[in-house]
Amino acid sequence: MAILVGKKSKIIVQGITGGAGSFHTKRMLKYGTKIVAGTSPGKGGQKVENVPVYDTVNECVENHDADVSVIFLPARFVMDAAIEAIHAGVKLVVVIPEHIPIKDMMVVRKEAQKYGARVLGGNTAGIISPGEANLGIMPDIAFSPGRVGTVSRSGSLTYYVADTLTRTGYGETTCVGLGGDPVLGSTFNEILELFEQDEKTRAVVLVGEIGGVYEELAGETISKMKKPVVAMVGGLTAPPGKQMGHAGAIVEGGLGTAQSKVKALEESGAHIARMFWDIPKILEGQGV
Amino acid sequence: MRLYEHEGKDLFSKYKIPVPQGRLAKSAEEVFELAGEFNKPIVLKSQVLTGGRGKAGGVKFGSDPQEAKSEAEGLFDLKVGGFPVEKILIEEKLKIEKELYLGITLDRANYKIVILVCAEGGVEIEEVARRDPQKILKLSFDIDEKFYQFQGLVIAKWLEVNSPQLREVGAIAGNLFRLFKDYDAKLMEINPLVLTSDGKYIAADSRISLDDDALFRHPDLKEMGIEKRHEEGELTPREIQARERDIPYLDLEGDIGMFPGGAGFGIMGNDFISYFDGKPANFMDSGGGPTPERLANMLVLLDENPKVKAIFAARFGGISRCDDFAKGVIKFLKEHGLSKPMVMRMTGNMWQEGVRMFEEARKENPKLFEKLEFHGIEVPIEEIAKKAVELAKEAG
Repeated sequence: MAILVGKKSKIIVQGITGGAGSFHTKRMLKYGTKIVAGTSPGKGGQKVENVPVYDTVNECVENHDADVSVIFLPARFVMDAAIEAIHAGVKLVVVIPEHIPIKDMMVVRKEAQKYGARVLGGNTAGIISPGEANLGIMPDIAFSPGRVGTVSRSGSLTYYVADTLTRTGYGETTCVGLGGDPVLGSTFNEILELFEQDEKTRAVVLVGEIGGVYEELAGETISKMKKPVVAMVGGLTAPPGKQMGHAGAIVEGGLGTAQSKVKALEESGAHIARMFWDIPKILEGQGV
Repeated sequence: MRLYEHEGKDLFSKYKIPVPQGRLAKSAEEVFELAGEFNKPIVLKSQVLTGGRGKAGGVKFGSDPQEAKSEAEGLFDLKVGGFPVEKILIEEKLKIEKELYLGITLDRANYKIVILVCAEGGVEIEEVARRDPQKILKLSFDIDEKFYQFQGLVIAKWLEVNSPQLREVGAIAGNLFRLFKDYDAKLMEINPLVLTSDGKYIAADSRISLDDDALFRHPDLKEMGIEKRHEEGELTPREIQARERDIPYLDLEGDIGMFPGGAGFGIMGNDFISYFDGKPANFMDSGGGPTPERLANMLVLLDENPKVKAIFAARFGGISRCDDFAKGVIKFLKEHGLSKPMVMRMTGNMWQEGVRMFEEARKENPKLFEKLEFHGIEVPIEEIAKKAVELAKEAG
């Protein structure tokens, strides 16, 4: 078992005929990811890496029962593409491109909630359930099947954490990239809840970074979880950033610094790791 | 993208939010001329993309053109929070009865648009929010939700507006909300919204920040003269150099040049160096899928920084492949040359190809590689950070 994607996922690539779309389709297929179709309006009937191309997501769902989509399209087309997938019945949409307009992602998120779908990204490296499916741009080499789940906003930090878990024999159930854009399709809380319910996941590693308030809010779920959560936050030594206007400060208060994130996570019961190698030590201490 | 006050006020006018009569001047002579046209007491407001202008002495008054001119000369010599004053907004001096606050921002955590309202406006608004949070009215909206007229009345009531003017002030709030949504804003503030002694409500200041990623939807901004700008105050020469090449870069105090991958590890890499008692000389972000040219430029910045004693390099190939990364580094070695010791780790997509390219290039010209120590996945990243700190100490 894994969360969100696995062997049985029927995946489509939106934007499959583009440069990044076709390159990563090839990589994902090589990993064994079950890509059943792709879309590229106006290019229906073609094939990419032997994967059939359709004009619309609806056709992918009708012909292949697709339930997951990964988007490789320029940012300005993402809102439309994501909502097309959600309306067609796709349950997980993974938005790889970065710089999605904030308003667009808020609309996508609202639509996803209406239809019971989930969205990852924008600016996510994707999601991988090692040995089962690799969606997005994550390098296979860092990952191996195992018993720890990871969730992070940053691609490179996900790779380093997985690399550490792989080296030390823990392996991963699923590694989820929430994305690096300012507004994201999913929250830490939602992913943590899925890990808590997943039978095979024994512990979760959460990697946060300065900016935003998503990490602080994760405490709400962590405090209710039975499984150990190891948290690591990047930016403890970063110079203080510039603050924008009064309204942001009134809404978010003193949140957003690495220190405030570590404090909130620690208070909720997460085990704090300062370096990657602290992670396996903490897991061992927790009997994972 | 932050807007200047006068640009924000142009947008306000477009949306029927009343603003003071104003003109923009770029020299003290222009101020002199315009002050003559006003023929009444004026206020001179330096236009800078930062707060704290009043406290920094960036706002002056002039009762006649001569006084306005001499005040303007002072302002043009001033820096506010590192920003030099290059233009001054001249406005009629308002007779202020009361200062109010009206702001709209995004609550990213809850995916809402939030309107903030307070009858005590002005520079101390954050202090009011801390001390008396109950004095601030917060109204949350979903991204696709409409603003109803009655909500404008609720806001006006909160601002203690007299009944005959409730609609007028309610309309200001409604118009600001429409403006916020129409232009993909992240922040819009009228602080203060003033009640003048002759009973008018006027936006005396504007603070606006737009979503850079949505600017493509607003070509009309360009027609209004509002274009993408750099928003930093004082930059170091290297930061300017990096900015010209579109590389996110910050100078720090230390001596270890940081050549990481994306922003996530760019931030964490600096923590690692600090953990081993080293001091990073910079923060840098390569962005996803950098070209060899870009990578070579990034290395030039570090190699030419006299403060840098050793370079820490890490690449975990995701969307950016290690063979492309190696190409960039080799390009730099051949065209520029490495004068500082550098320790590097490369893994992820195509890492073996990257290592192989290094080995081949080294066989061809071993001298180029004298100062470069490179590793693949076999060495954990912590060891690389530790080594970089040692190298810097040896060189120190």
